[in-house]
Amino acid sequence: MKLLMINSWEELLTAAAIGIMVVFSVLFVLVLLFELFQVIVLKVAKKKVVKSGIDVDKIKDIPANEIAAISMALYLYLDSMHDEESNVLTIKRIERRYSPWNSKIYGLNNLHR
Amino acid sequence: MKFYLKSNNIEGMKNFRYKIGFLALLLISLFPISIFAQSSGSENLVIESLQKFWNNTGLANFEFKYLAMIVVGLVFIYLGIAHKWEPLLLVPIGFGILIGNVPFTDGFRIGIYEQGSVMNILYSGVVQGWYPPLIFLGIGAMTDFSSLISNPKLMMLGAAAQLGIFVSFIIAYAVGFSPAQSGAIGIIGGADGPTAIFISSRLAPELMGAIAVAAYSYMALVPVIQPPIMKLLTTNKERKIRMKPPRQVTKLEKIIFPIIGLLLTTFISPSAMPLLGMLFLGNLLKESGVTERLADTARNALLNSITILLGVTVGASTQADRFLTVDSLMIFGLGAFSFMIATAGGVLFAKIMNLFLKEGNKINPLIGSAGVSAVPDSARVSQDVGLSYDKSNHLLMHAMAPNVAGVIGSAVAAGILLGILS
Repeated sequence: MKLLMINSWEELLTAAAIGIMVVFSVLFVLVLLFELFQVIVLKVAKKKVVKSGIDVDKIKDIPANEIAAISMALYLYLDSMHDEESNVLTIKRIERRYSPWNSKIYGLNNLHR
Repeated sequence: MKFYLKSNNIEGMKNFRYKIGFLALLLISLFPISIFAQSSGSENLVIESLQKFWNNTGLANFEFKYLAMIVVGLVFIYLGIAHKWEPLLLVPIGFGILIGNVPFTDGFRIGIYEQGSVMNILYSGVVQGWYPPLIFLGIGAMTDFSSLISNPKLMMLGAAAQLGIFVSFIIAYAVGFSPAQSGAIGIIGGADGPTAIFISSRLAPELMGAIAVAAYSYMALVPVIQPPIMKLLTTNKERKIRMKPPRQVTKLEKIIFPIIGLLLTTFISPSAMPLLGMLFLGNLLKESGVTERLADTARNALLNSITILLGVTVGASTQADRFLTVDSLMIFGLGAFSFMIATAGGVLFAKIMNLFLKEGNKINPLIGSAGVSAVPDSARVSQDVGLSYDKSNHLLMHAMAPNVAGVIGSAVAAGILLGILS
């Protein structure tokens, strides 16, 4: 379907102007929608934090160094949580019957030089 | 070591003896044929057959324009392998150029433009425009839109960089191309190979080879083309602007983004549906968390297969007799111009946005150039240029936002051009 018949400079410039305007407006509407969505998401998250009894303003004031230190401590703590192991090493012996199908000698080149 | 050398010598000698033996056997087998030809008086037949064979060889059909294209193909391969410039594109395209420029005689269903040839069947994915949407499916399945969702205003940079498309659309018309051809040429500025192919297959199939090669070449040359323009349009102070780290995005936002993105963009620009539909489908497969197998196939096996086919066939479509024209040269020139305008558009729009933003929320204009959609190379260029002025200012995550917005923006722009011009 043809929306515009371009036969002159005027029509071409109009088409280009419409094009760039539509691109801007589509992405602008997307920006608005997601800004709005962001506000809602952040409000919901804030409500959850307030319900849990933590002072939100205090969280904002934590300096980056402290956040890094807390993250490191958490990482070390969670990393050290392993299952208790017996520390007894055992070797399980497996007996294999001879079979030419897995014999090593057939998988090598016999270069007798 | 000695043992190996010795054994290699012995193997070499043996091989040499085999070769001599094979040659002797060949000569002996030719002898009765020549006797038969002489006795039956069909010497001419043998000579004619040899003559026919010679006429069909690439050597007999050789022209220097093929050699020129072969050199171009070799340069592509060299840039891809030695300099690692977009090797996933340049190596298959470069090799495709070699394939497409081996001279041959028409009528044997060999060439890419001969109906029914193997290369022609593979090329149908380009001509009919079904490779690009499949590529977009893979891109969607590997793209993380979280930096864009966390700072939605950066999406506008992706829109500003589409300026290149429309400016070169006008310039192409001014230099004598038809409106449809001008639209197809302009889309090179979107720095999006699949979109360029998709649009040119619809608007100007006769220029598709040149447009595709130009688009992919300039995508590979992003690290060369963009930095001078970025440096030219920014001050030292602007290049050192530090941006707030992006916030963590919830899973719900990531799932909703492709759905809203699809509905909004395609309702306004339905012609972009094949590209954007597949892009957002791929992203939903990735973000939903329940279709990991499909997302994995889309971003690996499918994307890689289509990239190979697309690269080789686009390369092979540059057959010298059709490709080496004045139009192709003009397309290359306009493509470079379009790319520069797109880069400048993104950078300048970031500066304009900064006029309205509070201190602390300002945007580093270097990420504006990432609005051209060459993902992720143009974002990497923003990061590299930013680091060269401030070694601790990492812009990559911020630049990814306009970068992926550029993919959406160029697909929307392509849809609009298609709607207006097709």
